[in-house]
Amino acid sequence: LVRVLVVEDERKIAAVLTNALQTGHYDVVVAGNGEEGFFRASAEVFDLVVLDIMLPGRNGLEILQPLRQRQIHTPVLILTARDGIDDRVGGLDLGADDYLVKPFAVPELLARIRALLRRGRPSDGLRLKAADLEPDLVARRATRGERLLDLTVREFDLLEYLLRHQGHLVSREMLAHEVWKEPRRATPLDNVIDVQMTRLRKKVDCQSAARLIHTVRGVGFVLREGEP
Amino acid sequence: VSWTPPSIRVRLTSWYSVVLFLMLVVYATATYLAVRHEFLEQLEDQLHDDFEAAEGFLVPASDGRIVWSSERHRDPDEDQDRGIDVWAADGQAIYRSGASTALPPAPLPAATAVARYESLAASGRRWRTLTGTTLVGGRSVVLRVSRDEDKLRAQLAEILVVLVLGLPLVVALAGVGGYVLARRALTPIDHLATEARRITAERLHERLSVPNPNDEIGRLTAVINDTYARLESSFDQLRRFTADASHELRTPLTVIRGMGEIGLKETRTPAEYKDVIGSMLEEVDRLTNLVDTLLRLSYGDAGTVRLALEPFDLAELAREVTVSLGILAEERNQRLEVDAASAVMATVDRLVLREAVTNIVDNAIKHSPKGSTITIRARSDCNGALLDIVDHGSGIAPEHRERIFDRFFRVDEARSRDSGGTGLGLAIAKWAVEVNGGQISVESGPSGGSVFRISLPRTTATVQPTAGEHARRKRGDHL
Repeated sequence: LVRVLVVEDERKIAAVLTNALQTGHYDVVVAGNGEEGFFRASAEVFDLVVLDIMLPGRNGLEILQPLRQRQIHTPVLILTARDGIDDRVGGLDLGADDYLVKPFAVPELLARIRALLRRGRPSDGLRLKAADLEPDLVARRATRGERLLDLTVREFDLLEYLLRHQGHLVSREMLAHEVWKEPRRATPLDNVIDVQMTRLRKKVDCQSAARLIHTVRGVGFVLREGEP
Repeated sequence: VSWTPPSIRVRLTSWYSVVLFLMLVVYATATYLAVRHEFLEQLEDQLHDDFEAAEGFLVPASDGRIVWSSERHRDPDEDQDRGIDVWAADGQAIYRSGASTALPPAPLPAATAVARYESLAASGRRWRTLTGTTLVGGRSVVLRVSRDEDKLRAQLAEILVVLVLGLPLVVALAGVGGYVLARRALTPIDHLATEARRITAERLHERLSVPNPNDEIGRLTAVINDTYARLESSFDQLRRFTADASHELRTPLTVIRGMGEIGLKETRTPAEYKDVIGSMLEEVDRLTNLVDTLLRLSYGDAGTVRLALEPFDLAELAREVTVSLGILAEERNQRLEVDAASAVMATVDRLVLREAVTNIVDNAIKHSPKGSTITIRARSDCNGALLDIVDHGSGIAPEHRERIFDRFFRVDEARSRDSGGTGLGLAIAKWAVEVNGGQISVESGPSGGSVFRISLPRTTATVQPTAGEHARRKRGDHL
């Protein structure tokens, strides 16, 4: 079981994190303040630390720096309400592995945690396949059953991303960053994503009995066999 | 002890008086010297005349001596102030008039070959004398004429007294006059201050009265009124913004609260719960987006934006935007065109500027009819680079043009909110252009519709980023 330490003083946010991580089948330990967080992170073994920066007593950066100085290289994902470049860079320079700005979307948090845990491990040769939908990553084509899908470059990128996160929720935020490579999500981009997704879904699902791409209202999208 | 500078009118008067005093001192000195010179010259002219007259009275007598021939014309009063003395070559006195006998005898002819003027003093009186040698009947005699100098000195002293006493008096009078004038001249400024104090934040619509718009005070008042006008419009903008922002922020909050309360009111099916929660999350999303955008704008206001400046081709950027938004135009059967003959280079923050162009093009797509064409035209002129976004929509009414870039301003309230806009797109565009040192404006297009024009200066080096910062920024952006 993967052990995750959550250092977060805000009780409700800690509860949300715990809940989200437990549904992702992680073993969650919560530290409610900086001192406890630092103590546990340096004394116990975790696969990942989710670290809030604004903590009473000892802030996140003051936990991160001594940890790294003690040669503890547990992957650290930082949470903060400040999204200034300096804040982000400050955390990364001190040895954080990734960064998420509050308010964050839970699907994105889970995706980033998956990415951090995958890092450094050999590719598990994961086959991107869902039901009868099969992409060809080399030729950049996809087939649904016998039917060759006529996809644009962007549509293929989108499909590939959905397939890589198969079964997991994908937020617009994640698509903006990872597929469109935009630094920031904005209203025009949201509309672009929606239209693109509608078109992709038409091509993938229209002539097939089983729908694969689903919209989860208020959250984002998911590619999954069966109902979302 | 702190020293506070005196009022302008006191300072003006002091300066005026000091300058006047110095000028008068120079003038009085020059006058006195000229008068004194003139008086002395006159006296010497008289002595010269006396000398020539006296020569005529000296005649050789039959015994070979030189004698003074006449005493006929002597005026006893005049004699008090003038004297004539004559000596023979051996120093023997030939003639001595009464008044000047107190004076010492003149030296021998050898020393007086050239006639000379000198001042002598005797028994408390000062005399001006002319001493010379003259030939009478082939024998040389020493002739000295003298005139009283004290009278002249007394006159000069009188003039000096008048000058020295009159000068401070004149300066004092001028100072009083100057003070009165300065006060009269400055009174309108005092009025202005009193009037201006009356205009507070609550009465910003009021203006100062301008009695004469063409004089200095009139121009100053015009400038102050102009400042009030700008202040008033900023205040209005702020008021509108506060009202709009609270409306925009409260709407999603109200929806979230309402949905939550309704959702809890009775037991529902899972599908219904999903619907409720989903729509609450949609509002949260909207709120998040709004807060993010407002925060960005306020960072921009505080002037703390760091730019990653790099030179690049605006035409290329325009093509990028058409590619990314092309799908939205396609949905509405619109065409996005880039019109650029050659590369149009500008040095700006590429990501920030692209956001501006994206927002304007997105706005154009939303407000243009189906099947129309939207053109992005890039070109350079002597001042820098220009980027025009031309649409064929309904255009923007002139009265809305000024406010179109205001935060939360919407020409058509109902329609825009439904189409998911925050009402901040154009405000962000304006911010993004201005932070890059450019300007944005909107005009009517030639065939209806609007033309949004972004003009960028040739070099826009408001902030010079370091290489390291640039690299860091890039890292930061891909998080």
